[in-house]
Amino acid sequence: MITRALQMLKVLFLFAIPITLAAQYQGTRNTWIEPGSQETLPGFDVFDNYLGKLGVLYASGPVDTTGHPFFTPLGSNGRACVNCHQPTYGMSVSAEALQERWHATGGKDPVFAAFDGSNCPGLPQDQEKSHSLLLHRGLFRIPLPWPPQNADGSPKPVEFSIEVVRDPTGCNLSPKYGLKSAHPTISVYRRPRPAANLKYVISGGQPIVLTTGLLADHDPDTGRPVSMNLMSDAREPTLKTQAVDAIMGHEEAHESPSRKQLDEIMEFESQVYMAQVEHVYAGPLVERGGPFGLGPAALRDRQPGVSGDNGFDRIFGIFDPSKETDYYRKSIARGADIFMFRQFWLRDTAHINSIGLGNPLKGTCSTCHNAQMTGQGLSAGWVDVGTTNYPTWTEPDTWTETADLPVFKITCRPDADPHPFLGRVIYSTDPGRALISGRCADVGSIVMQQMRGLAARPPYFSNGSAKNLREVVDFYDRRFDMKLTDTEKDDLVNFLGVL
Amino acid sequence: MRVACALCLLVSAIAAAQQRNFIACPIVRDTKTVPCFLAEYQGELYYLGIQQDITAEVPLPQLKHEVLVEGRVSEGPRVCGGIPLKPLSISVIKEINPACNTILPAEPGIDAPSGTRGESPDTESLSGRQEFTVLFAFNDDDVEFGSIATVRKAAGYATKIKASAVKVSGYRATTLLSNGQRMVEKPGLAEKRAQAIATLLQGLGVASVSADWTADPDPGDGKNDPSRRRVTITVVP
Ligand code: HEC
Ligand code: HEC
Repeated sequence: MITRALQMLKVLFLFAIPITLAAQYQGTRNTWIEPGSQETLPGFDVFDNYLGKLGVLYASGPVDTTGHPFFTPLGSNGRACVNCHQPTYGMSVSAEALQERWHATGGKDPVFAAFDGSNCPGLPQDQEKSHSLLLHRGLFRIPLPWPPQNADGSPKPVEFSIEVVRDPTGCNLSPKYGLKSAHPTISVYRRPRPAANLKYVISGGQPIVLTTGLLADHDPDTGRPVSMNLMSDAREPTLKTQAVDAIMGHEEAHESPSRKQLDEIMEFESQVYMAQVEHVYAGPLVERGGPFGLGPAALRDRQPGVSGDNGFDRIFGIFDPSKETDYYRKSIARGADIFMFRQFWLRDTAHINSIGLGNPLKGTCSTCHNAQMTGQGLSAGWVDVGTTNYPTWTEPDTWTETADLPVFKITCRPDADPHPFLGRVIYSTDPGRALISGRCADVGSIVMQQMRGLAARPPYFSNGSAKNLREVVDFYDRRFDMKLTDTEKDDLVNFLGVL
Repeated sequence: MRVACALCLLVSAIAAAQQRNFIACPIVRDTKTVPCFLAEYQGELYYLGIQQDITAEVPLPQLKHEVLVEGRVSEGPRVCGGIPLKPLSISVIKEINPACNTILPAEPGIDAPSGTRGESPDTESLSGRQEFTVLFAFNDDDVEFGSIATVRKAAGYATKIKASAVKVSGYRATTLLSNGQRMVEKPGLAEKRAQAIATLLQGLGVASVSADWTADPDPGDGKNDPSRRRVTITVVP
């Protein structure tokens, strides 16, 4: 009798937990904020995604978007920052959301602007296929001058020549927009990186970059060395230069933004924190006694520049599998352990294996992703992990759209050092850092993104080659021959899904 | 006079006999913990280091690349199955060589030694005119991790004493291999090395940096060749 009653109570209790916790984030919705919108965003907001819920926290309180330069078009194409950096999608934007926009607006949303929201500006803009990279992989065109330029516009010396060997978008061979045009340009295609949690992205500038032995870039205003973790290729030294370029580029402004506009943008960006707050099956994870790193408030409260690649002060805190009873929580905790401790042979990765640490070395995910709160690289974090250079390891057999991306052939000059693991002739869909530094050793090196709010913003990697987190994990399993079991892969996916 | 000279010849002959300068593919030996790096020369295995963090004194070899080993046979037991060399210089040959691809499995009884961290930059107080030396791998002008500390130390000192002049001098050298072959570093390298260090010093805020270089290579003697692949930084009060 008593046991029966107890059992009843237990059942009630089991139901009660999810109900009360769900109540915590009632009224979640998914929004698409239009440029020029006039609304007040609550200081804390929660949005649904395929693995749970994302929390977005504005540390300075509710945001009035009216006339706010992050939310207001400042250029000629009707776009604002928010077009590509939407709170619902982790201050980035997912490919699925872009498809929804395409259908909702008949392709008229300014996010599809010809300049970089289509495969190439010269294509017929009303056709879906002219925007295929954006619609299927979430990729914007990034036109970069070739050769790269110094701040004063003078050409930088380069160690290699570059040819276009495949040009499915037509942009790189175009007489108007391409490499042989009046303004020689290379178009690569990249995912928007989250405009949130940015104190972690910009912290930690060292005068000399540890992985290259070269001087770090400087903040043009203060002269201080910068982190070199902004953008896939670290081309922007500061949030300010980044914002100016975004306004002159993505927003196609003809006039430079005002000082006030820039200040407001930077102020806004610097107080947005986002992270997952709830797992679809495991429930809320931001709770007392849980890992300290979860949720946006932790990002607000903790400090940048802390290494988490160790056993005592781990990345995102301690997930303890032995403490958990729930099936999914256990899996998440095991995934965290795999991320931190599962060793594999790290091989042939430029800027990890080529900097004196040895090739190969036994490492873990956190050997590279070592910043405690974001899982970026703590020092300037460009690495050729194998996402863009051939042989690329990104494309599973089922991926049929490889032919979507341009392919460049890079030939290193005889007097330059070759790429450390690919030699003097390299084929790449995005030479990454090398398009800025002009160095062969940098070909295919991409700056690690922060690993927060992942569930809100598929596809992954700078070239959108992993449609979901399982494909990210499969990539690493192939690339480093990790021999993960299916359960271990699920565990890693569940872990990545709660960040 | 004569006796002394004979002695010194003998000493240097012994030193040469202890010296191992060769190029080979590195061999990786797995262990229960971290991998060891070895290389084979004339049928004998030499120990080149174990995986450790970035502060390791000597950079580690890389598979897919041959390595130039310049070291002196040192007393003591084998490490990871190889004869230890000390001092030891490791230069990764930059061109790739896919044939360098051997990983031996872990074997019972062959364990990795525990890692030693590189020396932390000393805090001794300097005064007066000072010379700092930055060493380079063969044919290389990359400033290695371990050298960044030296450059920062020189820059810190120059700034602290408001140096009237900071003179940077670059050199290139020759390596005499144990098989008698001479390898000369590429032309232009002395200048590139000097410029690399001068640029870093300037970037660290050091004023009045001047750079010069000796275009001709230093000769090699097969004993101290790594110490001649260098840039000296002279800080003048
Ligand atoms: C058309 C879409 C688009 C618009 C509009 C846009 N961005 Fe971005 N943003 C991107 C893309 C794509 C990247 C990544 C580029 C790369 O990696 O080379 C990016 C990167 C960033 C980053 C770097 C984050 C990191 O971790 O590296 C910040 C910050 C940012 N954007 C802020 C802004 C601001 C501020 C505005 C408005 C002034 C803006 N963006 C407008 C697409 C856009
Ligand atoms: C050798 C260094 C290295 C190791 C080891 C490594 N990564 Fe990465 N990771 C990178 C780099 C570099 C990128 C950026 C690549 C790109 O975008 O093309 C990246 C990107 C990612 C992303 C994409 C984030 C986004 O916003 O698109 C995820 C997720 C990720 N890694 C997870 C992992 C996991 C899980 C492991 C362990 C199984 C791991 N990484 C091991 C270097 C590494």
